Amino acid sequence: MADNVISLYDVRRYFVMGDFIVKALNGVTVSIERGEFTAIMGPSGSGKSTMMNLIGCLDTPTGGIVQIDGEGTVGMSEAELAFIRNQKVGFVFQQFNLLGKINALENVMTPLLYAGIGVRERKEKAIAALERVGLGDRMKHRPNELSGGQKQRVAIARALVNNPSILLADEPTGALDSNTGRQIMELFEELNSEGRTVVLVTHDHDVAMHCRRQIRVRDGRLEE
Amino acid sequence: MVWENIKLAFKDMMASKMRTLLSLLGIVIGVASVIAILTLGQSATKSITATIVESGLEMVTIFPNRTDKASSEFTEDFGDRLMANVKNIKTVLPVNSSSAVVRYGQESSSITVNGVLSTYAEVLDYHAAEGAFFELTDNITSRQVVALGSEVAKTLFPAGNAVGQYISLFRTQAKSYLVVAVMDAKDASFNLSFNNSVFIPYNTYTQRFTKPTAVGSYVARVSEGADPLLVSDAITEYLDSSVGSSAYRLFSPASLADMASQITGTLSSFLAAIAAISLVVGGIGIMNIMLVSVAERTREIGVRKAMGAAPLTIMGQFITEAIVLTITGGLIGIGLGTLLSWLVADILGWSLYISYTSYLLAAGFSTLVGVFFGWYPAMKASKLDPIEALNYE
Ligand SMILES: Nc1ncnc2c1ncn2[C@@H]1O[C@H](COP(=O)(O)OP(=O)(O)OP(=O)(O)O)[C@@H](O)[C@H]1O
Ligand SMILES: [Mg+2]
Repeated sequence: MADNVISLYDVRRYFVMGDFIVKALNGVTVSIERGEFTAIMGPSGSGKSTMMNLIGCLDTPTGGIVQIDGEGTVGMSEAELAFIRNQKVGFVFQQFNLLGKINALENVMTPLLYAGIGVRERKEKAIAALERVGLGDRMKHRPNELSGGQKQRVAIARALVNNPSILLADEPTGALDSNTGRQIMELFEELNSEGRTVVLVTHDHDVAMHCRRQIRVRDGRLEE
Repeated sequence: MVWENIKLAFKDMMASKMRTLLSLLGIVIGVASVIAILTLGQSATKSITATIVESGLEMVTIFPNRTDKASSEFTEDFGDRLMANVKNIKTVLPVNSSSAVVRYGQESSSITVNGVLSTYAEVLDYHAAEGAFFELTDNITSRQVVALGSEVAKTLFPAGNAVGQYISLFRTQAKSYLVVAVMDAKDASFNLSFNNSVFIPYNTYTQRFTKPTAVGSYVARVSEGADPLLVSDAITEYLDSSVGSSAYRLFSPASLADMASQITGTLSSFLAAIAAISLVVGGIGIMNIMLVSVAERTREIGVRKAMGAAPLTIMGQFITEAIVLTITGGLIGIGLGTLLSWLVADILGWSLYISYTSYLLAAGFSTLVGVFFGWYPAMKASKLDPIEALNYE
């Protein structure tokens, strides 16, 4: 039996906009195995981000079933969802979304804080994660003192630090120049080759070429 | 986690110092005024009490009213009866007073004549500046001797040398008295005036000066170490049962001091309660700034949620921030209030009594304000939808 780390069954996500309903996802069924490197592609507004948010437990579906690491998330409380986000998923955003008032190290330490880990271990793990993404010499820098590529590396370190089963990235290279973007993609490839499941959203075919599997979304449905 | 939250709160406070300061103004002013009122109230009480204590806490004065019952009780031997019935009284001195005119040569003055026992001066710590207060034998033989209060002596004998001279006392007729002493100046205490009085032996007063139907008043001195309040209560109890409460009036500096401190205490609590209202207003300021903070940091909240912060965690972060804010305001307020009290006390010449309970009260109250008014914004933050928060512009 396949070891599915992400399973969606007939997942729907509707948004009520006044008089009409936006069907951002309209019946998506897909499974992603542990260790896979998957790209989600599709035109703008097709529902890629919506799908990622559901996988990352940032959002709850209108209908269907979402399973993360074998656990169904439907009906979970906010606190339980927070636990999954903290432990099972690492999220990387297009706009980095680092906390601006604290330095790189403190940013990476934050998910460990929410995991209830003591300060010494937090520091050790965060340093290891930053070194892993090649930023061992930028730990005391605030986000505004870092380049875009460096910011994204901090964000990746932060997503990695709790050792999640899944790494999710919504257009991680979207705000970077192509050269830096390529380096970030290489980092994802490395992380994947270490056995981590990676799912990323991209418009870019070059980027998608890095991924072993590609899922296409159109109008809230898959066209694989 | 609490410690991290406190550090975060300080970071955010320092990031916008001016705004923080302005939003704290309400709390600062509220706490400062509560502290100032309580501290000054206490200082006032203490200095009023000190004034009263100076006039002799250990004295209890009883004034009979003119009733049938009173005239049978308040006789010459009332003092012995009182001492037999009430513990911890050292002595009871009968005092008769009336107004009269005193004359020496061309100088005359309207004064109070007191008929007192020879022990009066000693019991009241009232000392002769010149000469010596009259003695027991002067009383037994009803001699016409007089001790002059300091003001009286100054008026009649501007050049001094009063002792050994004869003065005239007019009541119904003029009689001549030998000056045996000029007394030290002594502040008037409740219902006892000294400097504008003269003192003659008790028997001289009742037999030669005027013939009173009853004793004018009794000065009882409480034994050393006994509580004057308890003794004056015991005297009240005894008199109420023997003659009834309408037959006399009782003055004791101790009970006055007690009353004074009660009045100032009540007054300052009342004022402090009003000032506490401004703390509530200050709390609304905190709520306002917290709501602004939550709105400004919507995205941050979204990011924290994406990293796995549970709603309670977010709530804790913002409540902590509100508490840190109000406690900071409380501390500034305590400093300011103390400074203000110190200034006012200095101007009014009171000695400052710092009320540490009011410090605790202010600190506790501002924490409470922080929790109370931080609750709603923190709850709002904790309930934000992660996606909406992340996409917030
Ligand atoms: N909160 C929302 N309220 C209403 N409609 C929404 C909301 N979020 C998304 N949608 C709609 O759902 C559809 C899918 O949006 P989604 O963000 O998933 O697209 P996307 O594939 O990520 O697009 P892009 O490539 O531009 O990021 C769009 O039509 C969008 O307008
Ligand atoms: Mg998108």
